[in-house]
Amino acid sequence: MSAHQKYKYENDYKPDENRNKGASRWSHCRKRGADGSLRKSHSVEEPGKCSQSSRRPESFTTPESEGPVSRVKNWGDEVEAEEMRSNVRRDMHRYRRRILEADFPQRERKISSGSSDSRDSRDSKESPAKGDIETDETTLIRRQKQINYGKNTLAYDRYIKEVPKHVRQPGVHPKTPNKFKKYSRRSWDQQIKLWRVKLHAWDPPAEEGSDLQQIEEIDLGEIMDFELDVECSSNTESHCPTSSGGSLSLAEDSFTGTPKKMMKIEDAEMS
Amino acid sequence: METSSKEEYKIQSFDLETQQLLKTALKDPGSVDLEKVSSLIVDQSLKDQIFSREAGRICYTIVQAEAKQTNGNVFRRNLLNRLQQEFKAREETRKRSTQEWVCLVSFICNIFDYLKVNNMPMMALVHPVYDCLFRLAQSDALKNEEEVDCLVLQLHRIGDQLEKMNMQLMDELFNLLRDGFLLQEDLSSMGRLLLLEILEFRAGGWTLSETAQKYYYSEVTD
Repeated sequence: MSAHQKYKYENDYKPDENRNKGASRWSHCRKRGADGSLRKSHSVEEPGKCSQSSRRPESFTTPESEGPVSRVKNWGDEVEAEEMRSNVRRDMHRYRRRILEADFPQRERKISSGSSDSRDSRDSKESPAKGDIETDETTLIRRQKQINYGKNTLAYDRYIKEVPKHVRQPGVHPKTPNKFKKYSRRSWDQQIKLWRVKLHAWDPPAEEGSDLQQIEEIDLGEIMDFELDVECSSNTESHCPTSSGGSLSLAEDSFTGTPKKMMKIEDAEMS
Repeated sequence: METSSKEEYKIQSFDLETQQLLKTALKDPGSVDLEKVSSLIVDQSLKDQIFSREAGRICYTIVQAEAKQTNGNVFRRNLLNRLQQEFKAREETRKRSTQEWVCLVSFICNIFDYLKVNNMPMMALVHPVYDCLFRLAQSDALKNEEEVDCLVLQLHRIGDQLEKMNMQLMDELFNLLRDGFLLQEDLSSMGRLLLLEILEFRAGGWTLSETAQKYYYSEVTD
């Protein structure tokens, strides 16, 4: 065999990696488990399932482990990564075209209205200049993954069904961060966090026993309250999202129940 | 309707219960155990020559159906990982049964042909496919007509795509084939003919000239 054997198919792939099937604190909110299968909305995670931290696959490298292990992934993962890359590229083409169209709105209308080369505010804030979009693929893929986590929730599903795009009000309704705009890492991560917190308003109502929940809620409510700018009722049933200083003018009835974050603690303790 | 989907996907060789499961998987993938479905498909393609060459189609349809219905990837992931396992064990498979081995190669190549990612072939499969073809181009394989037949079939079907993905490997492969054709003494005459045809086929840009077509594929009357 000739030079084509420069690539190797080493042993350590595990098609049934446990971390794909393990339950985690947030499993309840996810529409889909990490192995891709759809979760039924209120399934309880079995106590026997291992948590994410135990039984890592061999290819997992940490400073404490024996050193670098072969990182050859399984084909399933490789193809998914390929797909994400090509999706991101496709999204970028579309986005670039959209910006170009925004830069050149219908000429006829502009001329007849008598305005000179005016650009409305949306251009400066919303559509970045052609050269100023994020193009680094690693960054885009990382951002897309974060967006996918958020979209892979029951809350998101319910949100898009309930609030069609033309009804959405900026500030009130969560808006997916634009991965093509230039932001610092911190800024982006914060936007994602805020977006996901806002989405919790559309979490499905819970079914588990509420007594334990209320205890947990009170504890966390105390911790969270001092960070907030938002008016919250002291009622333990309603919740307030964390916010690092920005004031959120959210209508109280946009929250339909306890945030799932709080409930997950008791789930983990129960299992 | 019934027969046409059997025909289209070549699932006649499955037992009726499995056929039903497959049909459900095509229409309502979220309702079936897709890991099981992928397993059944791989198992069958290793046994059934005809299915191994056509299974890509049904796999593609299930992948699309699942993506559309649930935005999921379970079927594809399980299929590929199972395929990877079989690929890893290919040398043992070849020793155990030539038939199974050629089925495996046909199946992998058919999947490569059908399961595209955003209309591009799956890059992850390029080297594995080449691996298989290189194996078939070794002298111990070339002397088996069954293996030569499999090799040329794959090159007819996906040669041009493979070449686009990696020209250098295709060149190397064809060097082996040319050497085999010219130098190897224990080829069957059919084997030799098949090799000659594929050499011309590629030389002609992955198509057969009219003269070549006449030479290889028409009856000679005297």
